[in-house]
Amino acid sequence: MIRFRLHTLFLLSGLLLPCIALAQTPLVIEAALDRQVVAPLLEAFTRSHPEIELDYRDRSTLEVDRQAQRAPAPDVVISSAMPWQMARVNDGLAQPLESKQARDWPAWAKWRDEVFGFTFEPIVTVYRLELARHMLPPTTHAALYRLLVTQKRLLQGRITTYSPTRSGVGYTLFQQDARYSPRFWDLVAAMGAADVELEDSTQDMLDGLSDGKYWIGYNLLGSYALRWVQTHPELIVQVPKDYALVMMRMAFIHRDAPHPEAAKTFLNFLLGSEGQRILAGRTPLFSILADVMGPYTAQRLRDQVGERLYPIPIDASLLAFVDAQRRDAFLARWNREIRILEP
Amino acid sequence: MITINGTLKFRLALWLLIAVGGLGVFLLIEAYTSAQRAADRAFDSQLEAAQLTIAEAIQWQDGQPVVEIPAAAFQILATNQQERVFYAVIDAAGQEVTGNLKGFVQPAWRKKAKQHPVWLTIPQDDVAIRLHGRELDSAGWESQEPVQIWVGHTLSGRQALASQLFERSLTRFLLMVLLASLLMLLAIKSALRPIRRLRHLLRRRDADDIRPLHAQVPAELFDLAETLNSLFARQRESRDALLRLTADASHQLKTPLAGLQSTSELALQSTNPQEWYQALETVHESAARTSRLANQLLSLARLRHASAQTLESLDLGTTLRDCVMEWAERDIAQHHDLGLAPLPSTPVRIKAEPWAIREMIGNLIDNALRHTPRGSEITLGLDRGTDEVALFIEDNGPGVSEAMLDRLHHPFERAGRQDTLGSGLGLAIVDSIARRHEGVLRVQRSTTSGLRVSVSLSLSGLNEK
Repeated sequence: MIRFRLHTLFLLSGLLLPCIALAQTPLVIEAALDRQVVAPLLEAFTRSHPEIELDYRDRSTLEVDRQAQRAPAPDVVISSAMPWQMARVNDGLAQPLESKQARDWPAWAKWRDEVFGFTFEPIVTVYRLELARHMLPPTTHAALYRLLVTQKRLLQGRITTYSPTRSGVGYTLFQQDARYSPRFWDLVAAMGAADVELEDSTQDMLDGLSDGKYWIGYNLLGSYALRWVQTHPELIVQVPKDYALVMMRMAFIHRDAPHPEAAKTFLNFLLGSEGQRILAGRTPLFSILADVMGPYTAQRLRDQVGERLYPIPIDASLLAFVDAQRRDAFLARWNREIRILEP
Repeated sequence: MITINGTLKFRLALWLLIAVGGLGVFLLIEAYTSAQRAADRAFDSQLEAAQLTIAEAIQWQDGQPVVEIPAAAFQILATNQQERVFYAVIDAAGQEVTGNLKGFVQPAWRKKAKQHPVWLTIPQDDVAIRLHGRELDSAGWESQEPVQIWVGHTLSGRQALASQLFERSLTRFLLMVLLASLLMLLAIKSALRPIRRLRHLLRRRDADDIRPLHAQVPAELFDLAETLNSLFARQRESRDALLRLTADASHQLKTPLAGLQSTSELALQSTNPQEWYQALETVHESAARTSRLANQLLSLARLRHASAQTLESLDLGTTLRDCVMEWAERDIAQHHDLGLAPLPSTPVRIKAEPWAIREMIGNLIDNALRHTPRGSEITLGLDRGTDEVALFIEDNGPGVSEAMLDRLHHPFERAGRQDTLGSGLGLAIVDSIARRHEGVLRVQRSTTSGLRVSVSLSLSGLNEK
């Protein structure tokens, strides 16, 4: 979960203030996407559409999901909790976007032309430099498991990951991990034996890593981590070499959007070449479009880390993750496995 | 006058259009419903498959059904059309164990699903969804309660598939219509070819060529060709008759003219004024006869070739009485007993040309007077039937032979006698007038051995009974 950051809000409202004076149409965006990360995009949008008054509300994924089901409805809903986004669209809370940008959007990154995955964020492992002084840093899931088993004493209390109960993104990632390999549960058991600390958000894990509280962070959002390590040289970002999950933020226009035209304008900007260029050039969110150039594109990421990127597919199978019983069963197993090696 | 009443091509095309249209509506309705059915079948089997997948995942644990919904079930439900998906696993108590239907499944549906699998298409919010429910018996350690699985999805895939199938049928149908029209055009062309051939044949003929047609025609045109041939035959007859009349007329005129010439030549050779006077008398008499002959020829020609004039309603009784009265006063009738049989008390109305009827009666009387010996009785009268009236004239003269009776109305026929004063045109004129009024001329022996000539004419509707 991405926590609300007050100072960022003040900074940005200061930036946006001149535009707000001119603004006429309000546009309410409920987003589980760090404002600081996406700021260049919002600024560019406000510059090219001064007639729209942007009301960007940065919240946690669960809070965004709650807002989407509540009246008054927001105009645009953005969240990284892919199964929940899919569930809301399946409930009929989205309206289709009919535009060239929507039509041109790759089919694998959209559903029903109603919800669009517009980022390409690899899931990474982050470790402190001092870890390398004691052991060979893990480059694969199996290596991480081996480290946890062999260096249990040294790593005790120094590993962190998402909480599957408190974070929708974390839960989704673990579900996807479990789908790929049953050995994931060995890893969970090993993490449990190493007294893993469960955090709510990538930022919390990054903070803990920078503070030296943790040595290894598992399943962090690469977008935030890559940006963080630019100013925190003590941390290393490792894209797992066996497989790396890729998370996509999903955006849809609410069915009951009070300002549907403004919402369409925003989404078209977001999916259009200009928005994607800013995404690729000035945010670490990675554009999925093949023809967009910049440091942060899915294509460039593929070139760097090879073909082992596995995006979480945007299709109806996501709904299985929000099935109440399946979730309960998964969490029950999680709780069983994480304690299974306790003495 | 010939007016153009549409074209055959247009008529045939119209019928084709009606046939294709009627058949087309039926075919398209059929195609539409079968497309819908096919799409429903295809997508219903997806629902069934998804349901089976979910059923596979149901297990009992602690007296509760536990189901770890396979992700594949959702993909099957969503289909490649990305439908919105709905599902629910409901236990025996009617509680939703898991799912997103949230009490949408009605108790009545659940009851039905206990008996047999249920298929429903129901509106939800602003879209319709297709729902499939089935009860499943599953075994567990503590309990064996049945579980119902309900799955559903939106209908856009079905509609897309149905319209795709329908479009395909529509395309096929339109192609068929196009092909049928082309074939029909060829068929019309070939069907009309005999008519065109006949037209060419007729057009190529000379104006006075009235020989029968020799052409190959289909059975449908045989009647037309036959009628044309009989028309030609009649034309031939009437031309022959005309030629005969002209020849006869020339011959008839030549005889008195030759008489005049010889009489006047003889008189010129004489110097006796007495002989001149006699010759002049002969010339005068002969000239009068010739003049009357010419008049009759003229009137016959007029009757045969003049176009029909407007018909008037006239009372035949009055006309007959007037004519008889008029003739009785003439010199020529002084030696005969000209009489009138009792006439009907009410007017006898017919549609006719008054002058022609008077001419006809006059000719009948004149004919009778000329061909009967002095002192003969001549009686005229009317025989009124239900829808026609017969005007008759009877005499008690010598009559004619049986073989002659049928030929009497031919021009210049004088019952084999050249001695009487007649021209031989009287009955021919009567016959022409009768034909002109769609009447029939009959020549019979009279009851008193003489001749009875009658003309039947149809009564007009104005007659009161």
